[in-house]
Amino acid sequence: MSEYLIEVKNLCKTFPIKGGLLGREIGAVRAVNDVSFKIKRGETLGLVGESGCGKTTLGRSILRLIEPTSGEIIFDGKDIVGASPSEMRAIRRKMQIIFQDPYASLNPRMTIGDILSEPMDIHELHTTKEARKARLLQLLNQVQLPADALNKYPHEFSGGQRQRICIARALAVEPEFIVCDEPVSALDVSVQAQVVNLLMDLQKELGLTFLFIAHDLKVVEYISNRVAVMYLGNMVEVAESSELYGDAKHPYTKALFSAIPHPTTNGRKDRIILEGDIPSPMNPPKGCHFNPRCWNATDVCRDTFPGQTHHSSTHMYRCYHPNTK
Amino acid sequence: MSEKVLEVKDLVVEFKTDRGVIKAVNGVNFDVFKGKTVGIVGESGSGKSVSALAIMGLIPSPPGRIASGQILFNGKSLVNMEANEMRKIRGNKIAMIFQEPMTSLNPVFTIGNQIEEVIELHQPQLSRKEREAKAVDMLRLVGIPSPEKRVKEYPHQLSGGMRQRVMIAIALSCEPDVLIADEPTTALDVTIQAQILELMKKLQKELGMGIILITHDLGVVAETCDTVAVMYCGQIVEAADVKTLFNHPRHPYTKGLMNSIPSFDSTSGHRKERLQTIEGMVPSLFDLPAGCNFQDRCVNVTEHCRGNQGEPLLRDMEAGHKAACFNPLQQFEGKGL
Repeated sequence: MSEYLIEVKNLCKTFPIKGGLLGREIGAVRAVNDVSFKIKRGETLGLVGESGCGKTTLGRSILRLIEPTSGEIIFDGKDIVGASPSEMRAIRRKMQIIFQDPYASLNPRMTIGDILSEPMDIHELHTTKEARKARLLQLLNQVQLPADALNKYPHEFSGGQRQRICIARALAVEPEFIVCDEPVSALDVSVQAQVVNLLMDLQKELGLTFLFIAHDLKVVEYISNRVAVMYLGNMVEVAESSELYGDAKHPYTKALFSAIPHPTTNGRKDRIILEGDIPSPMNPPKGCHFNPRCWNATDVCRDTFPGQTHHSSTHMYRCYHPNTK
Repeated sequence: MSEKVLEVKDLVVEFKTDRGVIKAVNGVNFDVFKGKTVGIVGESGSGKSVSALAIMGLIPSPPGRIASGQILFNGKSLVNMEANEMRKIRGNKIAMIFQEPMTSLNPVFTIGNQIEEVIELHQPQLSRKEREAKAVDMLRLVGIPSPEKRVKEYPHQLSGGMRQRVMIAIALSCEPDVLIADEPTTALDVTIQAQILELMKKLQKELGMGIILITHDLGVVAETCDTVAVMYCGQIVEAADVKTLFNHPRHPYTKGLMNSIPSFDSTSGHRKERLQTIEGMVPSLFDLPAGCNFQDRCVNVTEHCRGNQGEPLLRDMEAGHKAACFNPLQQFEGKGL
């Protein structure tokens, strides 16, 4: 058994842009561009970046909810890109997803019991009545919801409680790997902390592996063992989360961290305000995609896309002019 | 002390619903000074936005109404003001930026049109040429590159950050005395948020307006506000200048909010301990408990808080620092962040 649960190699996803009278392909958006990474068993990899950088596309491609254009995804030793639909179905039991908006991701006409039973029906787990009931109660207990929730409908719950239901639904089929796609972004701060704690407790208890996607760097830094930063479809830096904050090599990572407002009133002088917006992924700038917003950019940055530099065994970045500590 | 431009006194806003009348805002007081920023913080449903809408005279009526209290703008009462008089103030002297830059612009008009509309309404003496020139100036002021070209574009051609800049341009085109910013950066990415907040600070310095900044992000408050009011269930539970509030909060709710935010700790390599949370959730406005509204989530709760002593009133803890709590934290106990 390999140490790594998930290995992604050179994953690409391009969306064609159709236009013109005949609906011919006139271009392509490279949403995910040559991304490679590995996640160990029981580890949390955080994925951060601005909107439109391809985080969600990457998360969904790994589960093949979006078919990747090219690349390999090796889950538990098996390449799942070529897996047949029936093989994929068996694999899907082991990989689940929690979505961002707990208001949109629960069917308002199903009771919580039905919502939690559906994945078990599909995978034919706990089929006897007693076993099913016991499993449902266990799930509710795991996410700290009362047992009488089973016969209620989603509208009777608050945002935080709904997100707990979504977590329970993902856990129903005893997965090994969960993609958490912005699971706490829609929640209030005090509830957000409760859900973050719950996810970490469940990970410890059940030995889960997470890919945690979020744009809130503080939450990601807190929950993740390692953090990957994406910019315009590329992974520009990956490091241990404690290392990334103090010793970011890529200027974009540094800018991203410095842009976070801190709840302290001691003045800060280190703020970097990036100029401009994230460029369109339809037409990314030549060379390093970050060069139009970068203060260190030189001619080489405007010409060729930087390759991977390995600062240490766990710290990778793509930049010609990395920050020094 | 600078000049007071807006005063909110004991504001109560009620909404009639099928299940009875609820008080979305219940006895709120705060002042806005020229050139200063007041932050209003709270979780969803705490009454932040309703307070702002009340100031703008935009509470939908029915079901809502301002049940009691005063809103004084430069000494003049805005409550029960004639509709056409209010229209002269709204958007002109008091302007508002809404949370969603994606939905608050009209998709079928160019952004130039939308800025000019405000100018035309409030400054009818300007000619069409002058209005167009002013729209370009406003876009330049908020830092939109090549504004001459951009005025002719439609909202869908702009990014989220750009649209929020356009919203700010519209709000500022009549040089308001008070700007209400309701979660102006919540929908934006952090790097764009930093740009927008910086821009608002710069424009405040240039134009000297008072800003009411409504947000749930304590980080944003710490970096931009002069004074802060923390709201919970329609009431202000703590109010102070920003330094005092962050360095030693007195209300357990304020402290709980601060503790719920993960903080960066780059020096320690070890796995962080659990986040501190506020247990439970905000009670429904339909059945608020007797006594303090925060009792079921509070760590310092006593019988007194649950009793019939009524709600704790906002009282002075020390000069300029108010909290509504029977058992406040000691002055330096609530060590902030």
